[in-house]
Amino acid sequence: MSASVLVSLRIAAPPQAVFDAFTQDIALWWRANPMLQLTPRGDGELRFEPGEGGRLITMLAGGKEFEIGRITTWAPPHVLAFTWRQATFPPDRSTNVEVRFEPIGEGTRVSVTHSGWDAIPQDHVARHGFPLVLIQQRQGAQWRAGMAALSARLG
Amino acid sequence: MSAKIDRTLAALADPARRRVVELLGQRPRRAGELAEALRLPAPAMSRHLRTLKQSGLVEEAHPEFDARVRIYTLKAGAMAELKDWLARTEEMWSDQLAALKAHVEKKHG
Repeated sequence: MSASVLVSLRIAAPPQAVFDAFTQDIALWWRANPMLQLTPRGDGELRFEPGEGGRLITMLAGGKEFEIGRITTWAPPHVLAFTWRQATFPPDRSTNVEVRFEPIGEGTRVSVTHSGWDAIPQDHVARHGFPLVLIQQRQGAQWRAGMAALSARLG
Repeated sequence: MSAKIDRTLAALADPARRRVVELLGQRPRRAGELAEALRLPAPAMSRHLRTLKQSGLVEEAHPEFDARVRIYTLKAGAMAELKDWLARTEEMWSDQLAALKAHVEKKHG
């Protein structure tokens, strides 16, 4: 049984450009979603510190910094991997995100694999109750409509 | 994420327990049958089954003909919260990749 999520998308630009945009422009493209907040104070402004061991942090309103994770693989323009912790996760819980950038024709296939839920230490037992702030109705239909509008615009 | 997901995940962190959940997903089974399938001594299997019961993934029943026999079944809806979380994470990345695509293609278009 594997608890992981895989999402991929084709982008009309070469892998290096997509890798650079992913890592350098994340503050510009990251779209805060009130239904899926990274911290109870919102998503803030995300930033990667380039290179292995670098942090993925977000600057929250009011100047408070939150560390989402650390870069575990920095192999431009092919692979980027980092750990991922939302503020609502229990203290010692972390998951892994791997992003692959594969050339496909003139463009790039970007694939995100988010995993690690089945690699939690065996003795890990919740010591606290955490508010399930994210339990909300899915808005799948809404973003699918948004995607359709977006691809129509991009042609 | 709630304490309930946490217990589900902790229970599933062990490969033997994941296998038990898979086997019980096919049909209910006796503890002895599970121990045999996983080639584990009975006390080790009891411990795994206890953890799975505590996490709410598995429940125990006794057949009417013999109260000494324990039959384990996968609890309905046990994985629902985890599945819901996976669905929301998938949605987050679909949304973010769409945003990345729009950003990059605007820059390069």
